[in-house]
Amino acid sequence: MEQPRRITDSFPRRLRRRGSGRPPGRLKDKKDKKDNDKDKVQVKVRDCSRSPSQSLPDPALLEMLRRFDLSWEYGPCTGITRLQRWERAQELGLSPPGPIRDALLEHQDNPDVTYRWMWDGM
Amino acid sequence: MFSEQAAPTAQGLLASPSAEPPTFPRVPVSGYSDCSQLFQLGERSFSRQYAHIYAVRLAGMRPGLEQCARSRWAGVFAVLGMESWGPWGLLVLAEAVRAGPVSYQHNLVPQPPLPKYIQPSDELILEDELQRIKLEGAIDVQRLVTGTILAVYGSEQDDGRFLVEDHCFAGLPPPLPWNGPSSDRFVLLASGLGLGSVSGEALLSTQLLVDVVTGQLGAEGEQSCAAHITRVILAGNLLSQNTQSRDTINKAKYLTKKTQAASVEAVKMLDEILLQLCTSVPVDVMPGEFDPTNYTLPQQPLHHCMLPLASAYATLRLVTNPYQANLDGVRFLGTSGQNISDIFKYSSMDDYLEILEWTLLAGHISPTAPDTLGCYPFYKSDPFILTECPHVYFCGNAPHFQSKLLQGKEGQRVLLVTVPDFSATQTACLINLHDLTCRPITFSSFGADNED
Repeated sequence: MEQPRRITDSFPRRLRRRGSGRPPGRLKDKKDKKDNDKDKVQVKVRDCSRSPSQSLPDPALLEMLRRFDLSWEYGPCTGITRLQRWERAQELGLSPPGPIRDALLEHQDNPDVTYRWMWDGM
Repeated sequence: MFSEQAAPTAQGLLASPSAEPPTFPRVPVSGYSDCSQLFQLGERSFSRQYAHIYAVRLAGMRPGLEQCARSRWAGVFAVLGMESWGPWGLLVLAEAVRAGPVSYQHNLVPQPPLPKYIQPSDELILEDELQRIKLEGAIDVQRLVTGTILAVYGSEQDDGRFLVEDHCFAGLPPPLPWNGPSSDRFVLLASGLGLGSVSGEALLSTQLLVDVVTGQLGAEGEQSCAAHITRVILAGNLLSQNTQSRDTINKAKYLTKKTQAASVEAVKMLDEILLQLCTSVPVDVMPGEFDPTNYTLPQQPLHHCMLPLASAYATLRLVTNPYQANLDGVRFLGTSGQNISDIFKYSSMDDYLEILEWTLLAGHISPTAPDTLGCYPFYKSDPFILTECPHVYFCGNAPHFQSKLLQGKEGQRVLLVTVPDFSATQTACLINLHDLTCRPITFSSFGADNED
């Protein structure tokens, strides 16, 4: 039986929801059990938000990134990713430390590394 | 008429029609390039705070301002805002605490909109990334607006106030090389067409304007002069404020179901007018306060689907507000006037030309954004900072026409123009690109002494 076609096949979903971002009650509406399982698996992956093969970044790196966030010279840190903030600081000539950018690019798909500081729910 | 290069064979209208009517080809478009890419927003995200704009504005303007301050007040002085507090201070952000209109959210009676929101009890506070300090002394509190970047020179008092002895702004931006045309070329600037208003007084004037530009008015002399107009720029408020009525929101749905928004008729009229203009001359259309586009600055261009007839022509360009472009080697920069009128409301400056000049000297197109003027939450760079000095700097929808040629120390020559509101004054501006002069052109349909 062929897979039911979804609109997200031709228009891939661009916004990724963090954590348990699945809409409530969606699993209940799905009558197809196969889809149900697929959704559950997908949700699980989304909750983890990183593939199991990637290792956790070490806490020293996270601490360095936190210090980068809180340093006032590079401007506010809310609402933008760390990489965006680093690049902005670079363009303004504030010479942010290079290792931070390397670390951010290395762990690009790890949301704990790249995440943007946001207020609730944004 | 408005050019010394009127056709020599120009005859008046009281002559018999010539066997072969002469044709006057319009001067060809040469050297147009649009420089307003930084005002065009791609994907918009409003989930950011406005602190970023202020931080970027400060960081972006600080180097230039520091240089300016050091050259002006030669001598040792420490920079305020670092750990060491020196007796002299440097710049940052000047912010004024103003009593604005009471917000609706607090369930208080809303105050009527005032023309000016300045009060004697206003304070001026200088702020940077770390701290803020109250300013006093040789500084005009009511003249400055929130969001200005400036440098102050003075000393700090014991009670935490800063006594200002002198202050300076970023000054005129560095000049652009001049590649202007060698002969007379004109650009027509008009704003505030105000279509869709209750009174149709300005409609005849608008039609006269279109006829003059397309060369259908006047004898051969006027027509040959009109052929020197290379471009028409409509600087905002193409629709009137009446099209913005919100009756449909307050009334019940069954009463307003069949009514059409007033702006639909007005946009159709605009389309027809633009069609007449576009067949003959390149037109740049900037959106304004009452036009159907977004509210926050920078306003995005009107969508071409609203103007089906005129969009078929490549001469129509729908551009952003603010707008920047190179026309025949002359750099134009201008807005539809929201920035100037906002500064007018929150400052003691009364003259639109004075405010326009002040924004140029302060190095920023609209310092009150995002405080009192809606603005997109930029985070990477502030596109309203003036990095190069334009040759023509205009603002639309001013109460009357004014123009001034400003000369700078580094050889900058800027023509400041306040384009008047066409629906009220029936006046447009003709700018001569050759020698940077400007003159108004008024289309009045009935004279004051005409009693017939």
